[in-house]
Amino acid sequence: MYETVKASINLHAVLRNMEDLCQLDDASAEAVGDRYVSIRFSVPEIDRLVLTFRNQSCQAGRGDELPYNMNLRFSSPEHLNLMVEGVKNPIPTKGFRHIGFLKDTFTFLAGRLESYLKPDHEKAATDSEYLKRSTILTAYAALYAVPEIARYDETGRKLASKIEDGIINVTVGDDFGLHLIAEKGRLRTMKGRSANARTAMMFDTFETAFGLLNGKLDSYTCIGLGLLAIRGRVSMIDNFNKLLGMVPHYLS
Amino acid sequence: MQRYQYPKNRELFERAVKVIPAGIPGHLGPASGCFIPVSAYPFFCEKAEGTYFWDVDGNRFIDYMCAYGPNILGYNHPDVDAAARAQMEKANCTTVPAPLMIELAELLVDTVDSADWAMFAKNGGDVTNLAMLTARAATGRKKIVKFVGGYHGVLPWMLDVGYPGVLYEDIENIITIPFNNVEIFKQVLAEHHGDIAGVISTPYDHQAMNENHLPADGFWSEVRQLCSTNEIVLILDDVRCGFRLDLRGSDYHYGFRADLICFCKALANGYSISALCGDESLRPAISSVFATGSYWLSAVPIAAAIRCIEIMREIDAPQIMKHIGDKFADGLINIADEHGFELRVTGERAMPILTLGDDESNFLLQEWVAEMVMRGIFLANHHNIFMNYAVSDEDLEQTFAAAHDAFETVRKNHPEMYR
Ligand SMILES: Cc1ncc(COP(=O)(O)O)c(C=O)c1O
Repeated sequence: MYETVKASINLHAVLRNMEDLCQLDDASAEAVGDRYVSIRFSVPEIDRLVLTFRNQSCQAGRGDELPYNMNLRFSSPEHLNLMVEGVKNPIPTKGFRHIGFLKDTFTFLAGRLESYLKPDHEKAATDSEYLKRSTILTAYAALYAVPEIARYDETGRKLASKIEDGIINVTVGDDFGLHLIAEKGRLRTMKGRSANARTAMMFDTFETAFGLLNGKLDSYTCIGLGLLAIRGRVSMIDNFNKLLGMVPHYLS
Repeated sequence: MQRYQYPKNRELFERAVKVIPAGIPGHLGPASGCFIPVSAYPFFCEKAEGTYFWDVDGNRFIDYMCAYGPNILGYNHPDVDAAARAQMEKANCTTVPAPLMIELAELLVDTVDSADWAMFAKNGGDVTNLAMLTARAATGRKKIVKFVGGYHGVLPWMLDVGYPGVLYEDIENIITIPFNNVEIFKQVLAEHHGDIAGVISTPYDHQAMNENHLPADGFWSEVRQLCSTNEIVLILDDVRCGFRLDLRGSDYHYGFRADLICFCKALANGYSISALCGDESLRPAISSVFATGSYWLSAVPIAAAIRCIEIMREIDAPQIMKHIGDKFADGLINIADEHGFELRVTGERAMPILTLGDDESNFLLQEWVAEMVMRGIFLANHHNIFMNYAVSDEDLEQTFAAAHDAFETVRKNHPEMYR
């Protein structure tokens, strides 16, 4: 099961992030340029991901019905995980003419993404723009990972079943926010803050969020220091936070 | 009304986090204690007396949390403290225990209806765990039934997977079912016939974060009957309710007799001691269980417990708690109503939980409680509160005055509530 959870996170939380990478990172947007490549990732047991690159941007979609012009087939969830680690190659079954994009551009983008998701802490200490982008992309990766854990991991399912229906806001200052919608033990992550949240987790700054997401700070201390504030249905946050705590187990 | 400021509290917290993980770990800390917003709450206590504590900034609080239960007669009760001091001058933690422990056991056997014997430990979790082990030792069975929302301490079997460090294997033999539902209990008995060692429960559903529920009619008598028929040990976790509802035990209060009963909190008015009492039939089993701790038989808390129980008996403490709790609840419900809020007071009046109607997110409750705390009335937005003997009518009047002001403020901050 571990490989399945990890693969669904790799697809729907990590690779999904290409969408935001192309928005936040000029070098990535430029690399995409005016090409049009729509890559479908087909992994057994897991919802498909389609990444559509065009006009210096990327759009991520989930499901079987989305259009694509290149299909990458993986023999197993583990196969996908090994590709993400750079150990194995995918098997293209459609769109051979885009192999060049895959080899060059996609690999470049993956490297850019990694530079934000596994941040250089020295650089982050002096470059606030880098820290902000890294925090946003890491937050997306972690918070899109949570619904996958809630869906596929046994403990994750148990925790999610205890989260009452409603919306959980996660915000950084006034600048950045996303929310999770809990419904009957399933979770969905959505961009932007919600005006109807039942509970909220509010980081004061990107520095705090960066420290917490990278395991340099702990939430209990941050709450006491007023760097992280909690409001609303605490039981929802409590179980959500436990799910969030499971992310590093899968995202190494 | 003046609202409190906490500069020294903050300063100390910043010092604390450097050397103590989370600054103040556990339920007394700002995270688990649900200090929302954290700026409204004090962190450190300078001194306490009666129903008050003063924080390090000199702010005085009428404290309805009572240290989460231990304060029942009033902080620094002179008689209890004198008994502790007198014993301290003789001996505390020694190689062989003081005979005083016999006196305390005799007093508990005499006071608690279901007690034929008593054993001592330090924390509530020590004795709930000891009770679980005793149930297994007595029956040779593995499974323990507990109820949703029932808190019994921090050992892995009392928690659940998802808590960092807790394994599936830790809770493999724990079955958690809803409180007040005999049908589900019967199903579990049928499904695990011959495998269930014990049932552990608080006297009523006093879970955190939600409204509390008293036992439904017939619930306890049926559970008692089913446990007897199936030779299952019925464990009452009276750690929180013990001596606040009835000195004879909360099982007595609700008309049944537990096989094992766990006490802590109010037992010694703040001195560190817990007790497990039980039925004669379980004496051999508990004697066989390996259980001990460095400070379990220390004499000072034992001396305090004896004096505390004597006083609680003299004054009939539960009656007084209920009386104060009724005045508190009725007063606040009316004040809330005047300001257009529905204050819901559930559970027992000696230790009720406060929630607000039309407040699915708890935003309003959290705001109101924060306003109360900043006006010197320490309540909780997530947990039941506690009455204690030292609460005077004047304290209640001050509480009500603050409540008026606090509701008014919340009201002003929420114009959307005016329909
Ligand atoms: C009902 C109940 N049982 C057990 C415990 C655990 O007691 P302690 O924290 O002293 O170990 C508590 C503590 O709040 C409690 O309320």
